[in-house]
Amino acid sequence: MRVLVVEDDPALADGIARALRAEHFAVDVATNGEDGGHLGATEAYDVAVLDLGLPRRDGLSVLAEWRAGGRTLPVLILTARDAWTDKVLGFKAGADDYLVKPFRVEELVMRLRALVRRAAGHAASVIRAGALAFDAQTGQFEYEGLPLRLTAFEWRVLSCLMLRKGVVIERLDLLERVYEGDSDVDSNSLEVIVGRLRRKIGAGAIETVRGRGYRLVDLRCG
Amino acid sequence: MPRSLSGRLLVTASLALLVALAVAGLGIAHMLERFVTHGLDERLDAQIAVVARAVRPDGTIDRGVVVDVPPFDEAASGWAWELRGTRDLLRSASLGSADIVVRDRDRHGPPHFDPFGPDVGRPRPFDGRDPNGQGVHGRVLRLSTGRGAVTIIAVGPRAVVEQPLRAALLPLLGSLLLLGAALAIAILVQLRFGLRPLATVRTMVDEVRNGKRRHLDATEPTELLPLVAALNTLIDTNQIALAQARGHVANLAHGLKTPLAALRLDLAAPGCDPGGRLTAQVERIDRHIRHHLGRARAATPAGVAGAETSIGAHVDDLVAALGRIHADRPVRPIVAIPDDLAVCCDPQDLDEMLGNLLDNGWRWARNTLHVSAERVGAMTRIRIADDGPGLPAGDLEHVLQPGVRLDERGDGHGFGLSITRELAELYGGQLELGVGSAGGVVATIVLPAS
Repeated sequence: MRVLVVEDDPALADGIARALRAEHFAVDVATNGEDGGHLGATEAYDVAVLDLGLPRRDGLSVLAEWRAGGRTLPVLILTARDAWTDKVLGFKAGADDYLVKPFRVEELVMRLRALVRRAAGHAASVIRAGALAFDAQTGQFEYEGLPLRLTAFEWRVLSCLMLRKGVVIERLDLLERVYEGDSDVDSNSLEVIVGRLRRKIGAGAIETVRGRGYRLVDLRCG
Repeated sequence: MPRSLSGRLLVTASLALLVALAVAGLGIAHMLERFVTHGLDERLDAQIAVVARAVRPDGTIDRGVVVDVPPFDEAASGWAWELRGTRDLLRSASLGSADIVVRDRDRHGPPHFDPFGPDVGRPRPFDGRDPNGQGVHGRVLRLSTGRGAVTIIAVGPRAVVEQPLRAALLPLLGSLLLLGAALAIAILVQLRFGLRPLATVRTMVDEVRNGKRRHLDATEPTELLPLVAALNTLIDTNQIALAQARGHVANLAHGLKTPLAALRLDLAAPGCDPGGRLTAQVERIDRHIRHHLGRARAATPAGVAGAETSIGAHVDDLVAALGRIHADRPVRPIVAIPDDLAVCCDPQDLDEMLGNLLDNGWRWARNTLHVSAERVGAMTRIRIADDGPGLPAGDLEHVLQPGVRLDERGDGHGFGLSITRELAELYGGQLELGVGSAGGVVATIVLPAS
């Protein structure tokens, strides 16, 4: 899961990025409205955290532009403005959730996970595929009833496949959601990560669709 | 001087009216007296002319010429004449042997004026008494002859003047009183009519204060327009100052919240705040900021904004927002609010009150949240009822206190209900919490209808 954080306060942006990375999210940070607007409009993100009072461009106009341009990524507004009128304006501009500063980091993580889960069309918080279970609320994977220990990259790949189980996910799409914007992407590393995952959850769970990408096989259905 | 404007106008107008009536009464009486006296004078002058014919140019008297015509021949009639030469003395029959008059110099003219002074060629008036003590008015003519001065005096009873005067003065006084009464009524009418715009302006100022209107709105009278314009400027200045003050508080609060959020994140890092003491302090600071920010918003003097705010539209927006905030709580809102129902309340304040109540309901509801509104007299009642577990009676009052929160779930900060109540009371309304028939909490907020 890749998150865009648009927040102009460097200390808070750093803190949020650190906390989200600790929960295995890939995080890109933009410190002004223009950069944030551009990133959100051109890169693939699973969810965005958007401050409202931003230098150069106001958060609400960034959000409205994303929506006008057809960007449907879930957006959580994270702001100091706690009046209900501001909340209504935020939702009218196209926000999916609204959190007021200061906040508990667990609350932010929980809300971001829920946004991503709902955006993928899952109403219940636990998603199952065969012996594999993903609690989208806590971010925990279980395999055959036991907690699954994963690295950050493995978690990002597997959660992405899990949220869209049974659907072929393009390689490029997967790469975009696994690597942060400023990292060097080695396309071969994706095969390495998938290989490690297959060793943990069974070779047949992740199917390679030649020339396209990967698919998580829902064993109960398939 | 009376303190009220109408009192001042009434006193000055009444004084002016009294003075005018008195001057008019005295003036008319004086004119009348002169007119009547003039008639008597002509008659006396005619008699003097008749008597004067007896005086020859050399100063001797031709007694044969003098005739005594009525009423000068009647004794004690008050009518009399007398001719005094240096040697001769002629009298009307009415006098008999008595002297004609006792001079009464006080009544007519200044004391130094002597009607018996030198010859001026025409008769001069005087007042006096006849030998019987009756008041008389007389004329004196001094003639200079070769044998010295000749004085001719004729008098008539003053009653001749006074009787018609009295007869005329009574109706005159009556008419003046009637005129005064009519003018007094006119003054009162004028005061009420003329001062009515002042009452209108006062009503409008009250309406501005109560939020029924934004500005004073008057196109007349012209005298009040500068005052109305000045009041409107004052209202605008007030509003700008208020908006600025609110803006400063909001900026301060918002400015503090971001570093506070960063601080809290840092403290959440493992090992940073083992006892949780620092986090508790950060939360305390946050509570204070929220509390005072909420109060600064609530401190709007009721109605300065003076807006008419539709309830339905705002509830719809809030319900849509809450549906997303609580996306994982499948609460079904059932809203029954007439489209045309509006309250006299700043839109942001209404959002704040309803947002807090709806958010509360949403947190506690099991399945449904009923929102309804109705107009009761001059007020509008908005009712928000959840189907949750409800609250014990003792807690209902308790949760309205600042900082108290029974709900430890989510990000509720415990100021919503107390701020909502403060806001409602500021608008002259109220907030009541109760338990509904289904057991859930029913929040009823009463606000002035528009």
